[in-house]
Amino acid sequence: MSDERTQQMPTLEKESTTGGGGNDLEQATSAAAYDPGGPREAGGRAGRFWSLRRVPAGIVALLLLAAAGLLLYDVAAVRAGEPAMAWRRTLADELATTAVNDTKILAAASLVTLLGVWLISLAVTPGKRGLLQMRREHAVVRAGLERSAAGLVLRDRAMQVSGVQSVRVAVGRRKVRAHARAHFRDLHEVRGDLDSALGDGIRQLGLARQPGLSVHVRRPKKG
Amino acid sequence: MGGTLRAVNRVLLALTGLLLLALGLSVLVGGFDLPRRWNFSMPADWPWTAPQDVLLSDADRTQGRSESWWWPVVLAVLGVLVILLLWWLLAQLRRRRLGEVLVESGDGEGALLRGRALENVLEAEAAALPGVDKAAVRLAGRRSSPQAVVSLLLKPHAAPGPVLSRLTDEALEHARGSVALEQLPAEVQLRTAKHRPERVI
Repeated sequence: MSDERTQQMPTLEKESTTGGGGNDLEQATSAAAYDPGGPREAGGRAGRFWSLRRVPAGIVALLLLAAAGLLLYDVAAVRAGEPAMAWRRTLADELATTAVNDTKILAAASLVTLLGVWLISLAVTPGKRGLLQMRREHAVVRAGLERSAAGLVLRDRAMQVSGVQSVRVAVGRRKVRAHARAHFRDLHEVRGDLDSALGDGIRQLGLARQPGLSVHVRRPKKG
Repeated sequence: MGGTLRAVNRVLLALTGLLLLALGLSVLVGGFDLPRRWNFSMPADWPWTAPQDVLLSDADRTQGRSESWWWPVVLAVLGVLVILLLWWLLAQLRRRRLGEVLVESGDGEGALLRGRALENVLEAEAAALPGVDKAAVRLAGRRSSPQAVVSLLLKPHAAPGPVLSRLTDEALEHARGSVALEQLPAEVQLRTAKHRPERVI
């Protein structure tokens, strides 16, 4: 119910501003758009989505499998009386003759260290940064909205504000930034309307944590 | 939804990372001659303590060869490793899909419903919601306690919050009721197809 009421607001307001030309009263209503939406949390805290890490796990598994498989094959071949493959001799020679302060070894060791740190960070961070968790209304239903989708929804909202020629909406994990170009109407009025339209839009995204909003309006470049 | 695979992947990635980190750091410690410079000593049989040490000397590499158990053990360890890695790799490629759902009638009788049928019904009902362009549903979990993985493609100008409310209250609720489940856990992802901005005025 409350959703339908808020859905109506921008159109009502747009009509009044395009008709009346906008005054201080209009600005006041747009500032009120920062009110948080009515909390309907019934399902408790919405946690982050934790990625399965399929791709890195697959790559690591594939590389390790190739190395172990090759070594197994060659060891077994040598046991069966075949000559060892050339790479094994070269590798053994290299390992036995290169000192650890060799530049190549130091570079490789640094790389291996960084790779280790990276794998550990992949293992302990949630990932899925492109997915914003949505408010939980049911304990068993978890939902996430892609950041790009949120950006498109908000962009469509912003394009409905009269005077807006083009708009770029960047949705971060904590903040929504909108950069609009207005080719007519007072910039302050456009900004006020954008504030309220995007504020409404953000509430309708149904996110667990309402992101902040910053709106910038400029005139289009001449020329 | 894939909780076991997630845990396995993350533990094995962390383990691999720790091994690489330890290997890289210990070679770096030897290579930059840190034990001498910073006045600490490594354990007695530590391979890399001075810059002139080699990565793997012939003596170290061949030290186990004289033992009779050496080669069988090497082969066995490598074989087990290959099998485990193969299992780990295949687990990434496989997507579990629930074949059938158990419908309890309440009086001890039960019926099996094809998972695909429930998926199709859920998809159709979700796709019919206003603001939804396409819906894809996959059932996971066990047949007595299925879970739905829902992916929605929203139309332009859809409001994600209300769409999710209606999906939960209608499509998911109907599906839960029709298979007589206590609850139907679901994971929903909402996306939007890229489209050009359209001017209203």
